[in-house]
Amino acid sequence: MKLFISLCLLVLTHALYAVQFQVKGIVLDNEGKTVPGAIVSVSTPNLSTLTNIDGFFQLEAPLSNKTLLLTVQHIGYLPYKQTIESTNSDTLVIELSSSNQLLPEVLVSGNGYLLQKQTFVPLTVQSVSDKELRHYLGGSLMQSIERMSGVSAMQIGSGQSKPVIRGLGFNRLVVVENGIKHEGQQWAADHGLEIDQFAVHHIEIVKGPAALGYGAEAIAGVIALTHDSVPKDNGMRATWDMVGKSNNQLLGSSLQLAYRKNRIFFTLRGTLIDYADFRVTTDSVAMYSYKVGLHNKQLRNTAGKEKNLHTSVGYTSSNLTTRFYVSNMSSKTGFFANAHGLEPRRVNEIVHDASDRDILFPYSEVHHLKITNQTEWLKDNFKVQAQLGFQRNFRQEMSAYVSHGYMPAVFPDNMPFSSSLEREFDKYIYTANVRMMYQFASRFSIVAGNQLDYQHNAINGRGFILPAFTKFADGLYALALYTPSSHTTWQGGIRYDYGSIRTTAYADWYKSPTVESASLNEWDYIERASAMYRQFNAFSWSMGYRYSKDILELKWNIGKSFRMPDAKELAANGVNYHQFSYEKGDASLQPEIAYQLDGTIGFATSKWGIQTTPFINYFSNYIYLNPTANHDWLYGNGNQVFEYSQAAVLRYGTELDAHYQLFKPLSVAFTAEMVVARQLSGEKKGYSLPFSPPHSVIFSVQYQPEKWMFFTNPYIGFDWRLVATQTHIVPPEEITQGYNTLDARLGSDFSFLQRTVSLSIQIQNMLNTRYFNHASYYRLINVPEPGTNLIVNLRMFI
Amino acid sequence: MKKFRKISLSLFFVFLLFACTQSEGIDMQKPEIDLTIQEASPLNCNVFYFGETITLHSLLKDNVELGTYSVEIHHNFDHHSHSTDVMNCDLLPKRKAENPFVFIKGYGIPVGQTSHQTATEIELPTGNELGLFDEGDYHFFISLTDKQGWSTQKGISIKIIHKPID
Repeated sequence: MKLFISLCLLVLTHALYAVQFQVKGIVLDNEGKTVPGAIVSVSTPNLSTLTNIDGFFQLEAPLSNKTLLLTVQHIGYLPYKQTIESTNSDTLVIELSSSNQLLPEVLVSGNGYLLQKQTFVPLTVQSVSDKELRHYLGGSLMQSIERMSGVSAMQIGSGQSKPVIRGLGFNRLVVVENGIKHEGQQWAADHGLEIDQFAVHHIEIVKGPAALGYGAEAIAGVIALTHDSVPKDNGMRATWDMVGKSNNQLLGSSLQLAYRKNRIFFTLRGTLIDYADFRVTTDSVAMYSYKVGLHNKQLRNTAGKEKNLHTSVGYTSSNLTTRFYVSNMSSKTGFFANAHGLEPRRVNEIVHDASDRDILFPYSEVHHLKITNQTEWLKDNFKVQAQLGFQRNFRQEMSAYVSHGYMPAVFPDNMPFSSSLEREFDKYIYTANVRMMYQFASRFSIVAGNQLDYQHNAINGRGFILPAFTKFADGLYALALYTPSSHTTWQGGIRYDYGSIRTTAYADWYKSPTVESASLNEWDYIERASAMYRQFNAFSWSMGYRYSKDILELKWNIGKSFRMPDAKELAANGVNYHQFSYEKGDASLQPEIAYQLDGTIGFATSKWGIQTTPFINYFSNYIYLNPTANHDWLYGNGNQVFEYSQAAVLRYGTELDAHYQLFKPLSVAFTAEMVVARQLSGEKKGYSLPFSPPHSVIFSVQYQPEKWMFFTNPYIGFDWRLVATQTHIVPPEEITQGYNTLDARLGSDFSFLQRTVSLSIQIQNMLNTRYFNHASYYRLINVPEPGTNLIVNLRMFI
Repeated sequence: MKKFRKISLSLFFVFLLFACTQSEGIDMQKPEIDLTIQEASPLNCNVFYFGETITLHSLLKDNVELGTYSVEIHHNFDHHSHSTDVMNCDLLPKRKAENPFVFIKGYGIPVGQTSHQTATEIELPTGNELGLFDEGDYHFFISLTDKQGWSTQKGISIKIIHKPID
C-alpha cells in the first residue's frame, strides 16, 4: 500500500513537471537495520513519501533549485535533515538515531553552540550531544549544560549541583536516566544529582509542561539522559577520558569498554574523580557579618571524590532490543566546615587547613545503586517500550556531635546510631513503565502508557527533618499526534494519576520540657511527626500545535499539571542545619495544580536563526516554605519558624536565542533568558519565589574551520555572560548584584599513534571576576563563586 | 540579512518589555536589634552570676511591623563563635560540658509596633537535679523577626559563674 502511494506520487509528480531530478535512498537505524514507514520529504516544492518495507524511498522533484532540503522522520527516532545537491544521483544512505524522547525531534547540528533545537512536536526541546557536552564540561552534569537558555544549575559546591528549568527545580522537574526516573533526596538544596557525566551520551531537555509522558512531577520540564549507545560494529572498542581542572585540582578518569558480537553486546565503564577544596575569589567570607578567614582562598573542607561503575549487557535484533544496566555511584563530599551547624562553629583551622584534599567532618556520603532494563519491540508501525528499575539511594550526613536545644551535653553511649551521624536516608525505589506507540500510515500516531512507582524511605541519625515514608504512584496516559501535512502537527493527550503517601510517627531520642513554665519539671520525648496516610488523584491534559514552513517555526502548547505534596512538605518538623530555621510541614496540604501556556516563534536559514520561547505559568496553590514571624522555643533552638503553605503564583518569562554566520568558519550567537515569579495570594503576596534566577544574556563568537594543519574539527570560542542584579527576593534572601564573566573554549580532534584523540579546553571566568550566584546554596552565607578555572578534557578512542 | 535585523530587533524589544516589569510596595527591610542604647544589656564580655538574673535591655525596630523575638543561652566551652559578635574577650580554657545551663524562650511583641524596648528578665538558677550548672563561657543569642518573616540575629559572648562565697 505504502509502495503504491509512493508510486502514485511519483507518477503524479512526473506528469506535472518536465525537468525532474530523482532523490533515492535507504533509511537505516543506528544498528544498521532498515526502517520502513519513515516519512521522507523535500522542500520546494513540498513533496513527501514513506519508505517501503526495505527502508527504501524514491522521490522526483522539479529542478527549480540547486539544492534541496531533505527531511526524514519516524516515531522513536531523532528526525534527520540534510541538504542535497540536485546533481546528486547516488543512492543516499540515511542513518537515524534512536530517540529516548516520546516523540521525534530534529537535531540541528554543526554550529557548536548549545542552542535551542527544532522539534517536530509542540514542546520546546533542547538536545545536547556527547560532543557538545565535552565542549562545555563543568564540575557536574548540570554545570555543563547550564549555558542553555532557560536552564540553570543550583550550585552546591564544585562537584555538585541541582538542575533548575526556568526557575523551578527540586521536585518540580524530572531527571530521567535510560528511561527511568532518577530518585534521590531531591527535596533538599544541598543534595546533588548522583549522575556520572562521563556515562551520559545524549541529553534532551524539555522545557514546559511534560508531565503527560514523564510523570506528575515534570511541571517545569524534563532532563532525559541516555547512556553510551549500542556499539555499532562487532568487536571490542575502548574509550578513555581524562579530565583535569585547575580550580579545585580535580583529576578524573573514565574508561569505557564496549563489545559487540552480532546481536549480543556489552559495555563496561569505570570512573574515578578526586578533587580538592575549591577556590573562590576572596580571602574571607562575611557570614551574617562574622568574618571567616579562608586559607589560600579555599572553601575549607569542600573536597570530594567519586567512584562510579556501570555495566550494561544487551541483545538486539531487527525487531527486539533489550538492555540491562547496572550502575553504582559512590561519592563523598565535604561541607564547607565553617557553615555547617546552627552557628558558624569555630572550626579547628590547623587540622582543616593541613591538607586541601582530605574530607573531614562535616561531610556527606552517598551510594546510589541502579539496576534497570530497557526493552523495545518493533513490528511494522507498532512499537512497545518497557522499562523496569530498582534503585537504592543511601545517604549519610556526618558531623561532630554538638548538643543543641535540649539534646544532652554528652552523647549517651547506648544509642542505636553513632554520635556523629547527623542524618541518614535510605531509599528504595521500584519503577515499571510501559509505553506503546502506533503510527498509522495516514500520518496519525498514538502513544499510550502506564508508569508505576513505589518508594520506601527510612531515616536514622540524631537530627530530624522528615519522617520515614512509603509512597505509591501510578499514572496512565494517552496522547495522539496528527500531522495533516509536513507543515503542521497537532498533539493532545490526557493523563490520570493516583498516588498515596504513608508516613511513620517519629519521636525525639532525648527529652525536652513539655510546658512553657520555667520549672522545667515535665520532660518528655516530643513527637515531631505523627503517622499519616493520604491519597491523591487527578486528571491532567495537554494540547499543542506546531507549524513550520520555509524559514518559520511556530509552536504553542498548553497543559495542566498536578503534583502531590511530598513527605517533607507534609510532615517536616525539625531544624535546618544550614540556616537559622525550623521547618514545619502541613499535613493538610492540597496537591499543586499548575497551568502553563508556552510557545516558540523561530526563523532559521542555513546562515542564521532566531527564536524566542515565551511561557506563562499559573499555580493555583504553589507549595512554598514560608518564613513566619514566629520562633520555635519549645522544640529546638529559638529558631525562626518556616512553615509550608500554599499560595497562588504567576510565573512568566522567555528565552531568546539567535545565531548568525558572518562567513564560513566564523559565527556569532546571542542567548538571553528571563523569568519572573509573583505570589498572588497568601502571606507573601507580592513577593517572588526563592532562588529566582536573574535575567541574563550571553554573547558568543566561535571560529570553526573544517581543518587546520593536522587538526580536524578545530574550534575556538568565547562567551561573554552578563547577569542582571536580582532584586526579586524573599526572606531570608539578599539582593544579588549583577556581574559579567568571560569564558573561552577551544579544542580539536587529531590523530596520535593512529588513534583518534579529542581535546577540549575551557577557561571559565577568565578575568577571575568576583561575583555571587543568586541560585547558589552558598549565597546566603556570602560565599562568592569560583575564580578562574582551566578545564582540560582528553578523549582517546583505543 | 535585512530580514534578520528586523526580526531580531523586534524580538529583542519584546524581550526587554518582558524583562522590565518590577515588583511594587513590598517590605524588603530586615528588623534591627539595637544594643547601643543606654543601659543596653547584656554586652560582650559581661559576667553574670547563677542565682541572679540577666535583663535584656534592647531596642527592637522595624520599618513596617515587628514580629517576635527569642532568647537562647547555651554554653561555649568549645569556643565556637557566633556570626554577629566580636570575639575579643578572654575565653576560659576549653572544657567538656557536663551539666551546662540551657535556656530557650520565645517572646511576643504587641501587634502593630515598629519599635519596642525590651526589659526581659531571665532567671539563672544555680542548678538542676543533676547538681550545679557548669560555669564558664556562654552565648546569649537573640533572634528577631518582623511580620513579613525577615530576621536578624545577634550573638553575645558572656560568662556565667557561681557567686563566690564570701
